[in-house]
Amino acid sequence: MANNEEKGYLSLVLHAHLPFIRHPEYEDFLEEDWFFEAMCETYIPLLDIYERLTAEGTDFRVTMSITPPLCNMMADELLRERFRRYYSLRLELAEKEVVRTRNTGFYEVAKMYETKFRRIRELYEDYYHGRILDGFKKFQDMGKLEIITCGATHGFLPLELRKEAVHAQIKLAADNYRKHFGRGPRGIWLAECAYNPGDDVFLKAQGIRYFFLETHGIIYGSPRPRYGVYAPVYCPSGVAAFGRDMESAQQVWSAETGYPGDHRYREFYRDLGYDLEYDYVKPYLHQDGVRRNIGMKYHKITGKVQLNEKAPYNPAEARDMAASHAGNFMFNRERQIEHLEHFLGKKPIVVSMYDAELYGHWWYEGTDFLEFLFKKMHHDQKTVKMVTPSEYLSMHPDNQVVQPSMSTWGDKGYNEVWLNGTNDWMYRHLHKQVERMVELANKFPAADGTLRRALNQCAREVVLGMSSDWAFLMTVGTAKSYSTKRFVAHTHRFNGLYEQIVGNRLEEGWLKDLEWRDNIFPEMDYRVFSTEEMEKAARS
Amino acid sequence: MTSSGQINNKNTAPEAEHKALPEGYGTTEAALLPRDPNWMFIYWEITENSRKNLCKTHGEDLFQKGRQVIRVYDVSAADGDGAARYFDIPVMFEAKSWYVNVQEGGRAYCCEVGLVLPDGSFVGIVKTNTVNLPAGRVSNVTDEKWMAVTADFDKLLQLSGVEYIGKGSGEVAKSLAQRWEMLRSVFSRASSWGVSSMSSQNLQKPELAKKFWLVADCELILYGATEPDAFVTVSGRKVNLNPDGTFSMRFALPDGVVDLPVKAMSKDETDSREIDIKVTRATTTDGK
Repeated sequence: MANNEEKGYLSLVLHAHLPFIRHPEYEDFLEEDWFFEAMCETYIPLLDIYERLTAEGTDFRVTMSITPPLCNMMADELLRERFRRYYSLRLELAEKEVVRTRNTGFYEVAKMYETKFRRIRELYEDYYHGRILDGFKKFQDMGKLEIITCGATHGFLPLELRKEAVHAQIKLAADNYRKHFGRGPRGIWLAECAYNPGDDVFLKAQGIRYFFLETHGIIYGSPRPRYGVYAPVYCPSGVAAFGRDMESAQQVWSAETGYPGDHRYREFYRDLGYDLEYDYVKPYLHQDGVRRNIGMKYHKITGKVQLNEKAPYNPAEARDMAASHAGNFMFNRERQIEHLEHFLGKKPIVVSMYDAELYGHWWYEGTDFLEFLFKKMHHDQKTVKMVTPSEYLSMHPDNQVVQPSMSTWGDKGYNEVWLNGTNDWMYRHLHKQVERMVELANKFPAADGTLRRALNQCAREVVLGMSSDWAFLMTVGTAKSYSTKRFVAHTHRFNGLYEQIVGNRLEEGWLKDLEWRDNIFPEMDYRVFSTEEMEKAARS
Repeated sequence: MTSSGQINNKNTAPEAEHKALPEGYGTTEAALLPRDPNWMFIYWEITENSRKNLCKTHGEDLFQKGRQVIRVYDVSAADGDGAARYFDIPVMFEAKSWYVNVQEGGRAYCCEVGLVLPDGSFVGIVKTNTVNLPAGRVSNVTDEKWMAVTADFDKLLQLSGVEYIGKGSGEVAKSLAQRWEMLRSVFSRASSWGVSSMSSQNLQKPELAKKFWLVADCELILYGATEPDAFVTVSGRKVNLNPDGTFSMRFALPDGVVDLPVKAMSKDETDSREIDIKVTRATTTDGK
């Protein structure tokens, strides 16, 4: 083998997702911040990296899901307007802070935020004119970024009883992807990596060629997978499944040895929202005036000390550490891939999958880490080639046929996170809604006018209730009351509309109100829930 | 359901939607969901009408004389010997849902909610869908074209990170919680309460050196239902009700006597009910 030929491949996969949270009925809504924070800390910084790498001629490959709820939020007028308000206020505070902290130990970090928010404004306004999906599309069209889709509302498919629901989640997602990115999705991130054997036929029907699985989804597959998780397998339908590499996952995530715990990195829990004098910070809090995190943090992890003993954050020192961690990550992948290639007698593909929001939001320096990693992979080594799953499949189309096992990436590896005493009460209501939705779609093959609008809104309410996030939040106990309220609200909205449709007494005012509140998938066509459409897809 | 019909930013009145979810949908039906290789979740609804019809056919005292059960059928096609393999789990229909434990993963199951009469005959009320559980282990099937020698496959499993199976993002979140106070408080509350499904399975397989082994443990599931707006405590601690007024919790069950007084107080605090449950556990092992 020639020395300059690679010994294997690395596919970096980031899963970007937030539930659809948009409350036009309130001026100011706390949970909408999840989206704005992720925009400032993860999504826009990623685009910033791609812009810089492209400008300096560094080639890179990354695969990233942008789930349909996230696409809908990124494209939504109201949220775009509210995001402008969000970053403008942050920038205003950052500018004041540069003056206030002059000649203190916090000047450098204050400068960092000022620069950061200016850059966010520049990218958001001057580069993408408020349409950041266009930014992602640009890098996809260059072949550097592969954007994949996800179930329409991140629905947890193994707990659905009706295949119409599975088909609807996939079809709506594929159509929404085409609308935003101008071609069909090649890959999909199944929400929570939750795979139910056989559901892959609905991926195939939409032209989707691959999806991802947790490690045991592959290695508990049948027959035994010859290369473990280091080569994809084809499901009997012909759709490829890539398995997660745990070594690279643990290297980043592990509580003891993972990178994000380094004492030079930024401390998440010491936030200016609590540190600044109340009257000074009040304009940057929510309308209720309660102190909360505002996303600007001036301290480093420092060590095992109380929050009030944390030392000032040093941006340059933290950046150096991120570079060194990127070097360590690359070194380990080189050794891993050399070893695997020797052992398997074949070039392995290592698939490293993470929540995108880990980078930048939870691990602030994570985006720096990725930038250094892309650069080092490109300039400093030849052992590992970064590829997208599509590229791998076109180079290596001959793969074993294996029926993967039911699995998820949740705690204990199956469905328990989404089905336990905190959330099992939801499913009888959810299943009833799906059953009724299918009944409506079958009963009205060609509705128009107000009835058609009502049916489309029914479909929106059903898919919003299907989001796996509600069950997840109930399990972990954070935002439990918000997630319960959301599930209950969508259930009532659906049931109310259903009764009005069946009783032929639609209240248009109320329908209009719901269309205004729950405006996900403006292009919704309720017939996606019909049994005929599902059966057609399953046969394709 | 009210209709506001107004579209403006002042429309912030609490929605009429926060009332409780329907208790039922007026249909006798049941559904079965897969949780993991050894557990499934079943929920059911039996309408008054169905009860009356059953009584008409089988006698007015049907529900007094019959034992209420979930009949769990193994319907895996591979066996095909015609004999239905099943076992019964005693329940109370009022529970409306149950977690069903099966010994063997990788098989197909369906359940039927019904009554076992004193003469041993079974009166089925409603059947569920069929669920195919994952095997939860490496397949015995190999294919010739892609054969690997066994020793290599064991090493491949190690390289693939078999030791991390099940330590997905939830596990990761728990690990990070050691530093992140917010999550820590959530998880530690759950485990000291002993309720959390996240901490329920502590069975450790003994080190690989021992060929034959057995581990067993049991937990306690307490469940009930009351008015959705009631105030309920178990052992003096507040219980959060589901929107339909049901509640359930799992407890670790150590040897000895566990006393679980359940108290419910109506919202207007004029009425209350109390049920006291005592559970005794005694475990013995052969010490091998």
